[in-house]
Amino acid sequence: MSRSKVLSMIVMVAFVLSTLGGALSGCAAPPPPTPTPTKAAPPAAPVATPTVAVAATPTPAPPKEELAADQHLRVNIAGEPPTLDPNLSSWDASIAVESLVFEGLLKFDKDLNLVPAVAKEVPTVANGGISPDGKVYTFKLRNDVKWSDGKPVTAKDFVYGTMRLLDPKNAAEYASFYYTIVGAEEYNTALGTKAKPKKPTDEELAKLRAAVGVKALDDYTFQVTLKEPRASFNSLAALWAMYPAREDIISAKGERWTDDPATYIGNGPFKMTEWVHKDHITVVANPNYYGEKPKLQKITLLMVTDINADYAAYLAGEREIARVPLATIPSVQADPKMKDQIRRGPRLATFALQFNNKKPPFDNVKVRQAFSMAVDREAFISKIRRGVGKPAYSWIPPGMPGHQPDLGLQYKLNPQKAKELLKEAGYADPKSLPPVALQYANTGANPIMAEFAQAQFKDNLGVEVKLEPLEPAEFSKRINAMNYQMGFYGWGADYPDPDNWLPELFGTDAGNNHTGYSNPKLDELMKKAITEPDEKKRLQMWAEAQKMVVDDAPVIFFFYDERFIVVKPYVKGLTLTGMDTTALPGNRYMNQVYLLKH
Amino acid sequence: MLKYIARRVLWIFPVLIAVSLITFILMHLVPGGPWDREKALAPAVIENLNRRYNLDKPVWEQYLFFVWNAAHGDLGVSYTSQDRSVTSIIMEGFPITATLGLAALGVAIGIGLPFGIAASLRQNSWIDYICLVFATTGASTPNFVLAIVLIIVLAVVLHLLPTSGWGSPEQIIMPAIALGYGPAALVARLTRASMLEVIRQDYVRTARAKGLMEEAILFGHILKNALIPVVTILGPLAAYFITGSFIIETMFSVPGIGRMFVQGIGARDYALILGATLFYSFIVALANLAVDFIYGFLDPRIRYT
Repeated sequence: MSRSKVLSMIVMVAFVLSTLGGALSGCAAPPPPTPTPTKAAPPAAPVATPTVAVAATPTPAPPKEELAADQHLRVNIAGEPPTLDPNLSSWDASIAVESLVFEGLLKFDKDLNLVPAVAKEVPTVANGGISPDGKVYTFKLRNDVKWSDGKPVTAKDFVYGTMRLLDPKNAAEYASFYYTIVGAEEYNTALGTKAKPKKPTDEELAKLRAAVGVKALDDYTFQVTLKEPRASFNSLAALWAMYPAREDIISAKGERWTDDPATYIGNGPFKMTEWVHKDHITVVANPNYYGEKPKLQKITLLMVTDINADYAAYLAGEREIARVPLATIPSVQADPKMKDQIRRGPRLATFALQFNNKKPPFDNVKVRQAFSMAVDREAFISKIRRGVGKPAYSWIPPGMPGHQPDLGLQYKLNPQKAKELLKEAGYADPKSLPPVALQYANTGANPIMAEFAQAQFKDNLGVEVKLEPLEPAEFSKRINAMNYQMGFYGWGADYPDPDNWLPELFGTDAGNNHTGYSNPKLDELMKKAITEPDEKKRLQMWAEAQKMVVDDAPVIFFFYDERFIVVKPYVKGLTLTGMDTTALPGNRYMNQVYLLKH
Repeated sequence: MLKYIARRVLWIFPVLIAVSLITFILMHLVPGGPWDREKALAPAVIENLNRRYNLDKPVWEQYLFFVWNAAHGDLGVSYTSQDRSVTSIIMEGFPITATLGLAALGVAIGIGLPFGIAASLRQNSWIDYICLVFATTGASTPNFVLAIVLIIVLAVVLHLLPTSGWGSPEQIIMPAIALGYGPAALVARLTRASMLEVIRQDYVRTARAKGLMEEAILFGHILKNALIPVVTILGPLAAYFITGSFIIETMFSVPGIGRMFVQGIGARDYALILGATLFYSFIVALANLAVDFIYGFLDPRIRYT
């Protein structure tokens, strides 16, 4: 038996154990090895970033590339997309498919810079696309973009798509991201709340709808008016939520227009031909795509929820691309054949251990700093994460504008200093601390992460931490209600801009601030940074803001995630970017992928 | 007889109402709701979602709403498969789970019965010992371990079968064996024990004394009576198979209802949980009913009143 087959067997033993762990925990399929809350991943930033593009092996001018006759790529998107309606989507698997079938006004290049897509150019003040006050964005559209049924894509399709996103009856989860548009919040909240329901008449609703600052000036000019300047709006315009939509089809077919390939009409490089629920989706090259035509004839997007089952299928030759289960990574790296198939790249996701800053002992900044200093992140990456990821000492990850590699290094493991800080906080004897508990969702790699943290606090600080595993939904509820002491938390980029990373988590009263942390000076600074039009100044402000957060240590920055997949050697042209979906690595440039004869 | 059937069928309805009420109460008592996620949604968005799925109504009203709609064949819409009706999800997933379940039942009966019979007829012979080994390994090997062995040997190493998926006949083989092997061992053990008991009965001795052919004794006297305890477990076993095995469906990526149900629980998809529970209860009730009728066929002493 060959070495790779022996390896396969070892892998499968891990498969048993981890499948069991996930399956018996009573929740859905074992999630990825991290507790990501990450939803989607769009990209942007008008700044050249130290990218992320981790291209497949730069083929050193192959002598002869004989293409496979069957250009059919099989890849797993890790589950059934809850919907394929771009304006209503929020989950990774949905966006993975939509990014193949649709294209927006703008998109992100391999270095995460914004580039034009359906729009002719990226709006700037200089080219007249952004008004001098920074509030009006005008997108001039190409006139050669067609839907997969051959009809032209016009500005009205973008207006319709955006209005569907904001329609309160559609309950789109990303609607609140666009409250920066004039009238958007008023329209999206037109039906009131449970406590104060509103029952607007059709006329009143139509009036609110008409007041939204989104319009088509003509067939090829789309305009958006904002309440206040928002330097990152171009990034928002590149997200799936603002993809165009076909009014004629959706109004005739209704909500289920996405189910039927005949009505699921997009303007992207691929078009859907089949959706077998819970099993697979098939897309084929869209002959009407205006851009670089796909080289692949067909992609089968499978919906295997178990990462181990997916990896077994890769070993059996049933996939071209697969994620690698955490426990299997060392054996893959050690195998001479398999290690050549590994592709790595950043994921623009950061994981932290957050504190409830409102309750003792973590209402004391010195205690938080002491705990942060008691964690050996390097050991965590090498021993627990099997070398995947990087230690994190600040929040914004590498590859994003605003990442500061030297920030937060004072929190590198230092048990001596950590104990001193604890003493300064009034706890000379660690046993005098109030009881400390660590809550976590009992799935995936969370238990082992929790045990690692527990051991670190015990060994380096002398603090006994009680572990409290919880069912995922209960964990989320307790975190959202701030009914916890310490809990793991992860954040994936919706778009690569600090204003998606700092205000939402560390702003007082921000929706995802579950620590109770509040710093009025930081709030003030972030408010200015969001609207600052000068890119250089804006990034300086964000750098200052991040430093404030790091100094206050409302959370322990734990690690930056990394993509670790295997790709068959005959797959060429695959380019990974930091903003790819987790479900489908390389989704943003899938039209460049091709298969060699194998 | 007809009266009995009618009574048993009518009893199903109060059972279903009780099951739905208990499920509904438990579901709402469990901490965490459908919109509780680590990356929190904006409050305004949650209001819109609650309104869209009728979760803004008082809890009692939500239940009555469910019962009324269910009585009209509408089990509501799923929150996780956005806007797809629970009925359509069940109708798509159930035939798959049922197909797999029947195949697994076939494995359980097709292997278990002959093994059990052979072992009992050749007690303490090598056949019996082989059956004993089979029964012991079957009882002690969890189905997910067997699934792994099958995947490694048949798919990854020998490339004889696909690792996972659904749609072609060869994709049924491994999950059916993985699911049916344990119950097959159970059936074999039970059949053997029951056969041995019946073989020693007076009426079997009498039949032999009368000079009946051995085949006639086996099929006409022994087997028919020995199968009663076996049939007793086949009812719940059929229900177990037909309602699906989450682990096997997950490991082999079978898009059946078992996997959906468990995922629905994790996601607090109330509509899916309630709908699937109700459906399961219905299937189990029918399976039990069927078993009771088979008793009567096998043992004329059993009367329906």
